[in-house]
Amino acid sequence: MSAAKVKMREKKMRNQPASVQYPSSSSNVESSTQNGADAPGTGKNADPLKGGLSEVHPSTERQKKTPHQSGWVRGHHKDGGGYTKEMPKYVTAGAFARARAAEVSAMLKAVRKTTSSSRVFEALPKHMRRRAMSHNTKRLPHRLREVANRMREKGLQAGSKKKKEQAKSKSRKARRRHGNLLLEFNRRQRKNIWLETHIWHAKRFHMVKKWGYCLGDRPTYKCYRACYRAMSSHCLLQDLSYYCCIELQGDEDKLLAALSQLTSKEAGPTFAAALCLSGRRQGSVMVYRAGRYPSQPLGPVTFLWRPRTQGSVHRQLWIWAHPTLKQDLLPELQTVCQCCEAVLPPAAPVEVNPTLEAESEPENTPEAKPVPGTKRKRSRKDATGPPAKKILGDGTRLRSTPVSWRSSSNGIVINDLTMEIVRYRLIGPQSHSVLVDTLEAATGCDEVPKSQTCSLWWPQHCSDEAKMTLHQQQADIFNILKGIYSTAELPSGTVLGLTVDDPRLTLPRKRVKALPCVKQAQEVDEEKRQKLMLEGVPEPCCQSFIWEQSVRDNVTDNKISEQELNRMRSEVLVPGSRLSPTPLQGRVPILLVEQPGKQVGHEMSSWGAGWDLLLPKGWGMAFWIPLVYRGVRIGGLNMSLKHSQNKAAPHFPRDYPDCPAGMRFQEEQEAELLNKFKRHPPAKRTNYIKHGCVAPFRCPWQQLAEEWEIIVREGGSQTRTTAQADAVTEERTSQQAISITKPPSRFTVLRNRKALKLLSAWCRPTTSKGQRPCRVGELPPISCEAVTSFLSAHAMSLVWVHVSLPSKGKPEYHAMLCVPTPDDLKALGNRQGTGGPQEPPHRDHFKSRIKRRKKDPKKTATPSVTPDKPDGKKADLIFASDLDTNASKDPKSFSESSSDLVLGLWPDPLPSVASHCSRVTVGWVTQGDFSMSAGCGEALGFVSVAGLLNTLLNQTSEHKGKLLLRNPTSLHYRFAKINIEV
Amino acid sequence: MRTVFLFQESSSLPYTLRKRLPRKLPKRRNDVYVNMKTDFRAQLARCQKLLEGGGHREICVHGLGLAINRAINIALQLQASSQGALQLAANTSTVELVDDLEPEDPDEAGEPMTRTRNNSAIHIKVFYPDAQ
Repeated sequence: MSAAKVKMREKKMRNQPASVQYPSSSSNVESSTQNGADAPGTGKNADPLKGGLSEVHPSTERQKKTPHQSGWVRGHHKDGGGYTKEMPKYVTAGAFARARAAEVSAMLKAVRKTTSSSRVFEALPKHMRRRAMSHNTKRLPHRLREVANRMREKGLQAGSKKKKEQAKSKSRKARRRHGNLLLEFNRRQRKNIWLETHIWHAKRFHMVKKWGYCLGDRPTYKCYRACYRAMSSHCLLQDLSYYCCIELQGDEDKLLAALSQLTSKEAGPTFAAALCLSGRRQGSVMVYRAGRYPSQPLGPVTFLWRPRTQGSVHRQLWIWAHPTLKQDLLPELQTVCQCCEAVLPPAAPVEVNPTLEAESEPENTPEAKPVPGTKRKRSRKDATGPPAKKILGDGTRLRSTPVSWRSSSNGIVINDLTMEIVRYRLIGPQSHSVLVDTLEAATGCDEVPKSQTCSLWWPQHCSDEAKMTLHQQQADIFNILKGIYSTAELPSGTVLGLTVDDPRLTLPRKRVKALPCVKQAQEVDEEKRQKLMLEGVPEPCCQSFIWEQSVRDNVTDNKISEQELNRMRSEVLVPGSRLSPTPLQGRVPILLVEQPGKQVGHEMSSWGAGWDLLLPKGWGMAFWIPLVYRGVRIGGLNMSLKHSQNKAAPHFPRDYPDCPAGMRFQEEQEAELLNKFKRHPPAKRTNYIKHGCVAPFRCPWQQLAEEWEIIVREGGSQTRTTAQADAVTEERTSQQAISITKPPSRFTVLRNRKALKLLSAWCRPTTSKGQRPCRVGELPPISCEAVTSFLSAHAMSLVWVHVSLPSKGKPEYHAMLCVPTPDDLKALGNRQGTGGPQEPPHRDHFKSRIKRRKKDPKKTATPSVTPDKPDGKKADLIFASDLDTNASKDPKSFSESSSDLVLGLWPDPLPSVASHCSRVTVGWVTQGDFSMSAGCGEALGFVSVAGLLNTLLNQTSEHKGKLLLRNPTSLHYRFAKINIEV
Repeated sequence: MRTVFLFQESSSLPYTLRKRLPRKLPKRRNDVYVNMKTDFRAQLARCQKLLEGGGHREICVHGLGLAINRAINIALQLQASSQGALQLAANTSTVELVDDLEPEDPDEAGEPMTRTRNNSAIHIKVFYPDAQ
C-alpha cells in the first residue's frame, strides 16, 4: 500500500472505536455468521434465553443480510464473499442492537466532532465566504454559527494554554521600559548591524537585511515622485553609514607605492592624482587585485587624503568602500601594505569607549539565548546589574576581532573604521542651503578659565591661537555657501572641514523648508564667492579634527544626552529660544564633501549633485533630526539606485558583473527572482521560453562574450544574418568541448579610458540633425582594420552603455539589447512612428516533457526528445536546431536536468544566447526604468564589445548606435539609442 | 556636459573641458528661462498660460547665449498675439560662466584648471501697462 493510501486510511480511522474494523484486504477468511461482529458468543448464548421475546421481523430479515462480514468491506466483492453458506435463522433484537451500539456511538461521535484541520468556513463554497469570517462568526450562515463559536472558543483556550507554557512574558509596560527595551535592542543587533538612525528608519521604512546590516529599502508611504523632485530641485537625505571606511596611515611615498599596485592609470586618475593627494578633493578609483589590472577587478572606492601637516611625510588616507567590497578589499590592502601583524584590540583606544561594556553584557549568558523560555529571565537578571549601554558602532563584531594591522617592514598601519564614522548624503541643488541652515560654526569659549583642567577637546583647542584662526577661516568659507544658489556651482569633490555647534540647540519648533535666501546671498562678498567657485576650498581649510581618533572618541563620549538637553531647554526663560551659553560639550568636528552630479552625457549635467556629511559616531541622531526638520526628503536603498540611474552612473554591486561582489549579487538576485517566479501558480507565470528569453533572471555574460568572440573570429566582417549566426553557434557547441579543456579567459568590463573614448566616438551618429559633428581629435574613423586591432585587445570585453528609448517603451532589468536587421532600419527610416519589429512567438518544447513526466514519473528516464515539427518560421527553425544540437550533444545530462524543469524557464545548459531570437542579441540591461529627468525610458546595461563593433561596422552613419531593446516579458522590440559615456 | 579635447598652448597635454552650469538665481513663478532643447511652442504656451491663466501682470523671459534669439522671438510673439495689450522692456547683461579643464593624465600634469568666460544674456519683461 502506498504511503498516501495509508495516510488516507489513518485519517478515516481516526475517530473509529477500536471495535470497528476496517479490513484492508478483501480476503476474508473468518466467516462469522453472527449478527454482532465482536460478540458472537454472547449473542448465541443469549439466544435461548431471549428467544421467545424476539420475533424476526421482515425488516430485520432484510437488515441481517447487509452486515454480512465481520467488518465493513468497501466496494464490490466478486467472490460474493459476504454471502456465507449458513445464514442465521433468526436475529435477536437486543443482541443485535447491543452489538452495534459501539459502532453507532462512534458514528455519532464522528458526525458531531469536526476534525480540527479545517475551520467551519472552509467548508463553505467560495462564493459564500466573506472577509474576516474566522474573526466574526456572525458573518457565517446561521446554521454554522454554533459550531464555529464552539470551535473558536476551543481555539482560544488552546492558544492561551500554549502561550502560558511558552513564556511568562512581561507586561508591555515592563517590556517598554527604557532599560529593558535597550537590552532587547542590543540583543537584536548582534546579528545585523544597526545604523544609528535604525529606530527612526524602522518606524517609516521597509527594512531589509543586507550585507550584514539592517537598512531601509523604501518608505512605507508613497513618495517616489516626491523623492525625485527632492533630488532634482530641493534635497534628499540618505544614511550611508553602512559604507565601510578603512584608514591607512604611513609615509606618503610608501603608501602610494603600495596602492599603485591596486590601480591603473589607464582606467583614469589613481590614488596619486595631484588634487586628491593634497586633500582638497575626494577622488574615486576602480580597485583591482594587486597587479592584475584588466582581468581581476574588485570594485569602485572613494578616497580622501588628510591634508598635509607642515614638515611631515606621515599621511592619513580614508578609503570608503561598499560593505560587500570590504571583504575582498581588506585582505588585498593587507597584502600590498604587508600589514599582517594584527594589533590586538586592547592596545587600540577603541576599547576604552562604552561600546564594549554593552557588548560584553549580552555575552555573559550566551547559553541562555537559544531557549526561548528563558530569554526573559536573563534580561531581568541583567536589569538588576549595571544599566545597559547603547551600542554605538559595530555591535556584531566580536571583542577579540582585530581592527588594526601594522606592518613591521614599512610602518603602514591599517585601521578598520567600520561604523566609526557616520556618513549622511544630501542630494539635490539645495543641499547646501539645508546645511547652512542646520549647521552653525562653533562658537568660541573665552569664558573658560585656563586653570580649570578640562577633559573636553574644544576648550583645549580654543587656547591654541593657530587652531582658532584656522577655525575662523573655515567658518568664513562655510558662510560663503550662503551666497551660492546651487550645489553644482562648486568644483566637484570639494572638501571642507569644520567644527560646528550641536545642531539640536537650533532646532526649529516646526518643520520648515530650507530655501536659499536672496538677501543673505547678496551680503556675501562677491569676490570671495568667485574665488570659492573657481578654486574651491584652500588646502588648510580641508583639515578637520574628525581625522583624529582621540578627538572623535572625546566627542562621542561627552555627548549631552537627549534627556539632559531637554532638561536644559525647560529651564530657559523664554520657551523655544536658543540655549545660551552653548554647553561646552556641544562642539563637533565634521567634514563636508561635495559629491559631483551627473558628469557624463550632454543633458541634465550635474544633476544629483550634493554634499556628504561625515560625523563622529554617536552623533547620528543629533544631526539627523535637525536635517529632517529642514524639509528634506528621506530616501532608502531604492532611491540610491534611482539616483545612480538618473546620473547614468553604474551602481555597485549591481552593475559590476566582473567583480566578485557583483557576481555574488547576481547569484542572490537570481535566487530571489526565481523564488518569486515559483511562488506564482504555473498558469499565471510568464512562459519565458515562449517569449524567446533564455535567461530572464540573470545575464550569462561569460557565455555571451565567448559566443561573440567566436562569431567575430569565424565570420570576419561579413554581414551577419541569423542563419549564419546560427551556423556559427553550432560550431560553438562543437568547439565547446575543446574550450572546456583549456581554461577560458574571463570576460571583463572595459574600463580603459582611451579605448572607451574611441568606442564612444564610433557609436555616435556622425551626421545627424541637431548635432554638431563631434571633434574627435585624432581618433581614427571606424574601419575594418581599426576594429580588428581593437578587438585583438578587447575581444572578451563588455562595455557599459547608456540606452535611451526615443519613442515608447519602459525597459526592465534583463531586457535584451539586439541588433536590428537592415529591414528594421529601413522601416524606421520610412515611418518614424513605427514601434519596432515583433519577435515571432517561440515554442515551449519542455512543456510537453513536463506534462509527460507528471503523468508517468518513471518514463522520464528515456530521453525521447523529438521536438514538435517546427513550422516555417525562421525563429522556430533556429530554436529547433538549437534544441537538436543540445539534445544530440548530451542526451544524458538533458534527461537529468529535466528533473528540475520549471515550467517556462530554460533548463541548463542554455542554448546559444546570442542567436536565440530572430534578432541577434549583443547584451542585456542591468537597470532600467522610465526616467523622469529625460521623459523617456532609459536603461543602463552592458554589450559585448565584439558584438557592438560588428554591428557598428555594418550600420550606416545615420543609424550608428541604434539597437533594439526587448523586455523579457514582451515580444515587441523597441528602437533604442546607445551611448558610451566616458 | 560636452567633453572635448583641447590643446593648451603652453603644453601639449590634452585637457578635457567640462562646462559648469550657469548660475541660477532663485526662480519666481513668473520667471521663464528659455532654452534650446524644449519645443518653441511649448515655451510660448507656458508664457501665455502665465499671463492669462496664471494671473500674473508681468513675466520675465530670460535667454542666455544661443537662446537670446528665441527669447526675443517668444516675447514678440506674445506681444503680437495680445493685439498690443502687452508691452516689452528688454535688458541685456553679461553672465560669467565657468569651465573646468581636467588633464587627461592627472598624475603628471598637476592641477586641473578653471577658466571663466563671458556670455551675453537678455531679460525681457513682458507686462500689461497699468491702466491709468
